[in-house]
Amino acid sequence: MTRVRLTLKQAASLRVDLRGVTPAALAGLALAQIERLPVTHGKQTLPLAEFFAVACDDAPEPGGELVFEGDLSRFDRIGWQLAGGRIVVAGPAGDYVGACMSGGDVQVQGSAGLLAACEMAGGTLAIAGDVGDHAASSLPGSMDGMRGGTLIVRGRAGDRFADRMRRGTALVFGDAGDFLASRLVAGTIVIGGRAGAHVGYGMRRGSVVFAGAAPHVAPTFVPALVDAAVAWQLLARDIARHGGPFAGLPARRIVRHLGDLSADGRGELIVAV
Amino acid sequence: MSEPRVVNGVVIDDTFAEAFPMKATRLIITAHNLTWARHAVASATGFATSVIACGCEAGIERELGPDETPDGRPGLAILIFSMSGKELAKQVERRVGQCVLTCPTTAVFAGINEGEAIALGKNLRFFGDGWQISKLINGVRYWRIPVMDGEFVAQETTAVTKAVGGGNLLMLATDTDAALNAGEAAVQAMKQLPNVVMPFPGGVVRSGSKVGSKYASLSASTNDAFCPGLYGLASKSEITPEVRCVLEIVIDGLTEADVGAAMRVGMQACIAIGAAGGLRRLSAGNYGGKLGPYHFHLHKLLGDGGTP
Repeated sequence: MTRVRLTLKQAASLRVDLRGVTPAALAGLALAQIERLPVTHGKQTLPLAEFFAVACDDAPEPGGELVFEGDLSRFDRIGWQLAGGRIVVAGPAGDYVGACMSGGDVQVQGSAGLLAACEMAGGTLAIAGDVGDHAASSLPGSMDGMRGGTLIVRGRAGDRFADRMRRGTALVFGDAGDFLASRLVAGTIVIGGRAGAHVGYGMRRGSVVFAGAAPHVAPTFVPALVDAAVAWQLLARDIARHGGPFAGLPARRIVRHLGDLSADGRGELIVAV
Repeated sequence: MSEPRVVNGVVIDDTFAEAFPMKATRLIITAHNLTWARHAVASATGFATSVIACGCEAGIERELGPDETPDGRPGLAILIFSMSGKELAKQVERRVGQCVLTCPTTAVFAGINEGEAIALGKNLRFFGDGWQISKLINGVRYWRIPVMDGEFVAQETTAVTKAVGGGNLLMLATDTDAALNAGEAAVQAMKQLPNVVMPFPGGVVRSGSKVGSKYASLSASTNDAFCPGLYGLASKSEITPEVRCVLEIVIDGLTEADVGAAMRVGMQACIAIGAAGGLRRLSAGNYGGKLGPYHFHLHKLLGDGGTP
């Protein structure tokens, strides 16, 4: 397979939509064809080469690899609906990174904008920096958020992280904003730092693990009288492989709160003490 | 047919054990401590000596330390064998539902991951009456079912693999003590190996059977050729006058090689007891090679030396 390297030539004056620029879409295309790929810039449609210098070589990754170099904070929908292969963003990324992806691997070496991993269904999205609001949540107007795969944020997360998330695992090594796991349907969320206000607001099922500071727990949650040691070990051992603040989780005792009783009430807030 | 071999005074018959294809799975059952894990597996593998009437054959494969189990608690690995995947699925669900789910502090996990999936906690979850919770961890789904001591955790499915059932060894001895000694030594040696279980009580069976019966309703009946009490009475007997007790070990394993290895170490343990310990002959049961595709020839298993 081919590795395509796209090096940013100049910053975009408006937002650029990179949906469709994936390793699978670029596979088999000649350099000139890649350069002519249309992307949206504001209301205009421009060739990819307008923004990037394109180079190709052989990819070590079987599904192909796409490498972006430069400040892509105005470039949205990187890895949109990605089904396989690998995308590396050597710098910051814009909004919707990894949104609706169902497979493959996306690595952002800087921070990402809004709605990262929203409606993600599979694969792995790793962000070395921070993510904006509504990461791992749903597209505007949609009922279900992230529904599979693994999201790893090594920095901080904004508000409404994992809103309406249904399945999958989302980890934040740092702090998370307000309304963490609001309206959570199911899935696993792990926070290494401090969480903002209204944790688990309206959550129905799912697990939110706090490896850092204990959150403020709303009165619509009840303390659990049993420790669920087996499930905790299964979960903690899986989380611990990500290292950092999660490395020692299997050896830590937990306190659980069940809720949100204003919704289905079968979710759990797990505080490692 | 070549002459029987004699090793340490024990005659090794020039014959073979005939075994059959089966379907099997391994379950890992953990608990708060080994005592309660043992209670659960003793119950789950109980009444599982023969597919003739039990639906499955099952046994404990080995104990597992906390570092070997998915939840870091002590546990045991059991193997369950049936004649079909459908019957195996039925037996797994019944036995886990009645013997493991019910046992304090236990959890159950698949011990084999490759193969067709059958339900483990998939249907038992409905015992939770809507309070059950699914947890997908690293691609594996578990069910958490609230029970009175906390929650019962069960992996959703376990995998079925092809297996071999009915490997066997017959020990012909001068008296009951000698036959039991040989049986116990052989079973102990076999238990050191992975992937096999000896499903009868203590691993040993006294009621070896032949196919068919004079009674039309019975598919199997006593192996009269090896009954010392019928010496001189039965028209065809394998008994010689000095043999007063015959015991059999039946071995089920995940592969042909596993069954063969278990038979080999069992024979070696018996040979170590020798004629001085009252063991006179080692033989095996077969149906002329017409029924089962797996043939374990005693001489071949023993190789050139035969001594332990």
